[in-house]
Amino acid sequence: MKKLPLILSVCITACLSLSVALSSAQAASPAEDQKIFQDFFKKKFPDIKEAEFANGVYAVDSVGRESWEAIEEFPPYEPVVDKGAEMWKKPFANGKGFKDCFKEGPAIAGKYPHWDKEKSMVMTLPLAINNCLEANGEKPLKYKKGKINNILAYMAFESRGQKVNVEMSDDPKALEAYQKGKDFWLAKRGQLNMSCAGCHAQNASNKIRADVLSPAFGHPTGFPVYRSKWGGMGTLHRRFTGCNKQVRAKPFKAQGEEYRNLEFFLTYMSNGLELNGPSSRK
Amino acid sequence: MNKPLRRLAILGLAPIFAFSALSFSSLSMAEDKKAEPAAKVEKAEPTGKELAFSRKKGNCLACHMIQGGEMAGTIAPPLIAMAARFPDKEKLRAQIFDAQVANPDSLMPPFGKHKILSEKELDKVVDFVLSL
Amino acid sequence: MLKKILMIATFATVSSFSNMTLAEENADSLKTAVEAAKTAKKAAATVGGEWRDIGKFLKKAKKLAADGKFDKAVKLAKKAETQGKLGKAQMEGQTNLEFPSYFTK
Repeated sequence: MKKLPLILSVCITACLSLSVALSSAQAASPAEDQKIFQDFFKKKFPDIKEAEFANGVYAVDSVGRESWEAIEEFPPYEPVVDKGAEMWKKPFANGKGFKDCFKEGPAIAGKYPHWDKEKSMVMTLPLAINNCLEANGEKPLKYKKGKINNILAYMAFESRGQKVNVEMSDDPKALEAYQKGKDFWLAKRGQLNMSCAGCHAQNASNKIRADVLSPAFGHPTGFPVYRSKWGGMGTLHRRFTGCNKQVRAKPFKAQGEEYRNLEFFLTYMSNGLELNGPSSRK
Repeated sequence: MNKPLRRLAILGLAPIFAFSALSFSSLSMAEDKKAEPAAKVEKAEPTGKELAFSRKKGNCLACHMIQGGEMAGTIAPPLIAMAARFPDKEKLRAQIFDAQVANPDSLMPPFGKHKILSEKELDKVVDFVLSL
Repeated sequence: MLKKILMIATFATVSSFSNMTLAEENADSLKTAVEAAKTAKKAAATVGGEWRDIGKFLKKAKKLAADGKFDKAVKLAKKAETQGKLGKAQMEGQTNLEFPSYFTK
């Protein structure tokens, strides 16, 4: 009788150490993750060319694709790009302009998001835009709807054709941010207990009610987007907000740490695809 | 801000309100009691089918094809021959309560565990699903 | 003036003693329920697990209480608390996650 607990505890210890060994062996590097992630989609959709994933849901939704192609002939975001070009040119009150912050010009979307070692945080383009405005005594823009989409659309348009190429820093803090973004993407969340991965990987191209679920490979390439459902433009973080609400989770702050880390992970997963923003979606 | 005085005034005034409202409130309470069951009769309790089809409750059609439902999703298997598939009613109930117990990768919301449906609603949905 | 109020109040208190304690009890149980809900909401938010409607429930409970519907308000506050606890419990163990097995199957 007395031996049983001993055997049990030995067994538990052994099991625990085994699982620790297993989990530490499992901890994949970002590069390994990226391969697993991209291979998953390539295997799931063997007939779809890799570059097609940049077109989001329309890579896998042939019915929706037809009306999308028709819309793209007269893109609803075109006037938005024009307004963004104006913003780029128009000097701030102090006489300086965006070109003084972004000396390489507007075609820099491919450099974001990136790990900012100095600030020890993920730097995104919308955040850099507002940093520029505030450094010049201008009012920052809101992060989901409105004018920020003008300047983002212009910069995205100028950056078309660049490849997504998020560099993974070896700064341990960067790896931490990456893992947080990965956790966010994999965690089941909200009253409906759904993860980003559950819908946009496991069930990509399946229909949820009448809507086709888009594959996560290619998710960040086309932002900002004109969405018919919104009747206007929105940023990537606006889209995150909508997804979180749909699973009945409280959305996080746009450009807060959670969504920036998620953007870091998600964009890194799409490395190699072409940037094609701004774009239009249903 | 003189808290004690204010509290005194509230304490003093509250019974007056209570007093003057006594007859009125007892009347309205009686009315409430009468009104409540009447309202419930008017707003008939949803059936299992209605709960299953409602987007706010079961929303089963988001993922499952069900006879009589339109625009069903394709995420999960069609709900057909359910009585044959689940001879044990409790097993079906457990599945709807929390599908991730049986399959951790399941995307199905834990309707019971997360109280998306009440116990009573869950029972009704189970009965409806078994009728399919 | 104050004396007069106090006198009437004393009389009213005696005559409607049971009513008074009921109102107090109502306010008290609502306060307890709302405090508990707020604590649970915060605990869920701390681990990134707050659900969408908890805030709405608390706002609505406040409104219900203002309309004198204490029972409904308490019920809603309790619902908010439950959701806070469930949201917190949900996030437990969901750190350092790896891709699920369906990625490599």
